[in-house]
Amino acid sequence: MQIDRLERIFLFLTVTLLAGVLMAIVLSVVHDGAELPTQAGRINVAEVRDTAPFDAPGVYETAPGKYQAVIIAKAWAFEPAEIRIPVGAELTFVVTSIDVIHGFQVWDTNVNAMVIPGQITEVSRTFDEAGEYNIVCHEYCGIGHHGMFGKVVVSG
Amino acid sequence: MATLTPQAPSPASTAAPGRGGIWEWITTTDHKKIGILYGFSSILFFVVGGVEALFIRLQLAVPNGEILSADAYNQMFTMHATTMVFLVVMPIASAFANYFLPLQLGARDVAFPRLNAFSYWLYLAGALFLTVSFFVGGGADGGWFGYAPLSTQVTEVVRMDYWSLGLQVLGVASIASSVNFITTVLTMRAPGMTLMRMPVFSWMVFIISFLLLFSLPMVTVGLIQVFLDRNIGTLFFDAANGGDPVLWQHLFWLFGHPEVYVLILPAMGIVSEVLPTFARKPLFGRSFVIFSGIAIGFMGFGVWAHHMFTSGLGPVAEAAFALTTMFIAVPTGVKIFNWLGTIWGGSLELNTPMLFSLGFIFLFVIGGLSGVTHSIVPADSQQHDSYYVVAHFHYVLFGGAIFGIFSGIYYWFPKVFGKLLNERIGKVNFWLMFIGMNLTFAPMHVLGLNGMPRRTYRYAEGLGLDVWNLVATIGSLVLALGIAVFLYNGWRTFRKGEVAGPDPWDARTLEWTTSSPPPEHNFDRIPVVHHEDDFWHQKYTTDEEGRAVAIPADLRPVVAEGPDEDIHLPSPSYHPALAGLGIFVMLLGLVYVPWGLIAVGVGGIGFLWGMFGWSLEPLVRGDH
Repeated sequence: MQIDRLERIFLFLTVTLLAGVLMAIVLSVVHDGAELPTQAGRINVAEVRDTAPFDAPGVYETAPGKYQAVIIAKAWAFEPAEIRIPVGAELTFVVTSIDVIHGFQVWDTNVNAMVIPGQITEVSRTFDEAGEYNIVCHEYCGIGHHGMFGKVVVSG
Repeated sequence: MATLTPQAPSPASTAAPGRGGIWEWITTTDHKKIGILYGFSSILFFVVGGVEALFIRLQLAVPNGEILSADAYNQMFTMHATTMVFLVVMPIASAFANYFLPLQLGARDVAFPRLNAFSYWLYLAGALFLTVSFFVGGGADGGWFGYAPLSTQVTEVVRMDYWSLGLQVLGVASIASSVNFITTVLTMRAPGMTLMRMPVFSWMVFIISFLLLFSLPMVTVGLIQVFLDRNIGTLFFDAANGGDPVLWQHLFWLFGHPEVYVLILPAMGIVSEVLPTFARKPLFGRSFVIFSGIAIGFMGFGVWAHHMFTSGLGPVAEAAFALTTMFIAVPTGVKIFNWLGTIWGGSLELNTPMLFSLGFIFLFVIGGLSGVTHSIVPADSQQHDSYYVVAHFHYVLFGGAIFGIFSGIYYWFPKVFGKLLNERIGKVNFWLMFIGMNLTFAPMHVLGLNGMPRRTYRYAEGLGLDVWNLVATIGSLVLALGIAVFLYNGWRTFRKGEVAGPDPWDARTLEWTTSSPPPEHNFDRIPVVHHEDDFWHQKYTTDEEGRAVAIPADLRPVVAEGPDEDIHLPSPSYHPALAGLGIFVMLLGLVYVPWGLIAVGVGGIGFLWGMFGWSLEPLVRGDH
C-alpha cells in the first residue's frame, strides 16, 4: 500500500505520542507511587462505632515509621479532624462514612477518594515534607459541605 | 389526514409564525411549529440557567461570598446543571431536529406528528415542574447527579421529589421523540436519499436517538428507585439496610455518559453542515465523520465508570475504563481532523455561523484534551471533583455544544423566520461569548489543580484561590453580555431584519431548496435525490481540474414539473397537549401524597382523556 510521506510521518508521530502517554502512566504508577483508593472491605453502617477499628478513631503507629489514621466521615466533619505524624512516615488512611457519600482529598498529594457508606476505603501516602496538609471533602454532601475539612500535620 | 390541494394552500403555510393565535400553537402537529416551540422554550430556560450561573459566579467572586446562603447556593448549582442539560441543550437539539430532519430528508413531516406534539408538551410539563419547585420550598439541591443516599434522605423537604419526577417525565419525552426520529429516518426519506446520502446533521440526530433510547431507561429505573426510597420506604440505596449507594452511581452514569454524547453530537452535526457551506467544499471524509459518530455512540456506553475512579472499583475495572476512555478520543479526534480537512484550502467566508463553528473546533479541542487527562487514572485521582473537571466539561459543553448550537441558530435562522440575523451584531455576539467563555473557564483549570473542590458555597481567604475566582466571575459577566447581545439581535431581526431568500448561503442540502420559511407542506414536489449534497450538485458542476463551476439557471435540471397531486398533512389536535397537562397535574399530586392523590386522579383523567381522544380522533381534518 502506498502511503504518502507526510502521512507516514503523521502516523508515526501519533503512535509515538500514544505510546509515550501510556508509558507515562506506567511510570507514574511504578516510579512515583501513584496510588488509588481501594475498597478494603465492607462494614455495617449502623454499627460503625461498634466495629473495630472505627470504635476508636485516631492515629496509630502500626510499625516503626508506619501509621494508620482511622477516620470517620460524617455530615459535616472528619473525626478526628487533625492528624499528627512525624516527617517521613507512611500514613494509611482508613476511612468510612456513617451517613452519605463524602469525598476525601488531601491537598498537594495524590490522595483522593470517595468515601461511601458501607464501604471501607484505604489509601496510603508517605509524607516526606513537613507541613500542614488540608483535607477537604470534595464530594457534595449537603448544606454544610463547604465546612467539612481537616488537616494532616507533619512535624519535622 | 387532511388533503391539501397545492393550488389552494392552507393559510397557515403563508402566515408568519406567531400570527396564528395561541390555539393554533397548542394544537399544532406541524414539525416546524413544534421545532419553533422547542427553540423558544429552550432559549427561555437558557436565560434561566444563565441567571443561576451568574448567581454562582457572583457568590464565588471573592472569598467568603455573602450573596447566597449555603442552601440557596446548593439549589443554584443543582438547578443550573439540571436546567442546562435537560431544559436547554437537549431540547434545543430537538428543536433543530424537529425542524430540519424532515426538511433534510425531503419529507413532509416526522413519522408520528401527534407523538411529536406530545413529546413537546411533556418536555414543557417536566421543565415547568422542575422550575416550579423554586416557588414551593426551593429548587432541587442534591446535585444534578443526585448521589444517593444524600438524594434519598427522607426529610420534610420535597425538593428532590420534584427533581426525580421532573427528570422522569423529561426522559419519557425524549424517548418518545427518539422513536419518532428513528422511524422518520428509516421510513420517510425521499426517493434516492440513501442512508449514506443523508446530511450529517440528520445522521447525528439518528445516532443520538438510539443513544437516548437505550440509555434513558436505565436512569428511569434509578429515578423510580430514588422516588420510592424517599416516599414509600424502599431501601435500594440505603447502605445501613443492605442497599448499595454505588448502584445509583452506576445507573446514573450508565445514562449520564451516553448523555454527554447526546449533548455534543448534534452540535458536531451542525458544524459538519456549516463548515462545508462556508468553505465551499464538500465535507472532508464524510463517511468517516458518520462512522466515527456511530463509533462514539457505541463506545459511549463503555466508559461510564471513569466518573467513579475514586470510589474504589478495583484495579481491573479502573484499567479497563481508562482504556475505553482513551479509545473514545480516537473517533472524536478523527472528526476534528475531518473538519480541519474541510476548511483546508477552502475559500472561507468568515461570517457569524462560520465563526461559531470555528470557535467550536478550537474550544472543543481544548475541552477534549483536558478530558483525555481524566482517562489517566493517576491524574484523574488528582482532578476528581475539583474545579479542573468543571473547566473541562464547560469547554466541551459550552465551548462545544453551545457554540455549535449558536452556529446552527445563525445558520438556520433565515430558513426558519425568513430573515437574516444581523452580521455585525452577530460578530460582536461571537467575540463577547468567545472571550467571556475563555475568561470564565480557563482559570478554573488552575483553581482545580490548586485544590478548589466543587460545590462549596464559599472558600476561605489566603488559599491562593482569590485571583482566579475573580477573573472567572468577570468572564461570566462578559459572557452574559454576549448572550444579551444575541437576544437583542434576535429581537431586532424580527422587527427589521434583512429578508433572506430561499438560499442565502448558497448551501448544499435540501432544506435550502424550499422557500424561507418553508410552506406548511415543505416541498411542492418530493425531491428525488441523486447525490450527497444534492442541492449543490443541482447548482454546480466541476471542470477538468475539479473546480466548482456554477450551472446557469436555465441549464439546471428541471426538478419539479408542478406540485404533487395529493399532499397529506397531519390534522391539528389538542389531545397531545391535554395529555401533557394531565401528566403535569399528576406529578404535582404525587409529591404531596396523600391529599395530592386527588390531583393524581384529576390529572390521570386528563391524561387518559388526551390519550383516548388522540387514538379515537378521526384522521380527516373535518371542515377545515
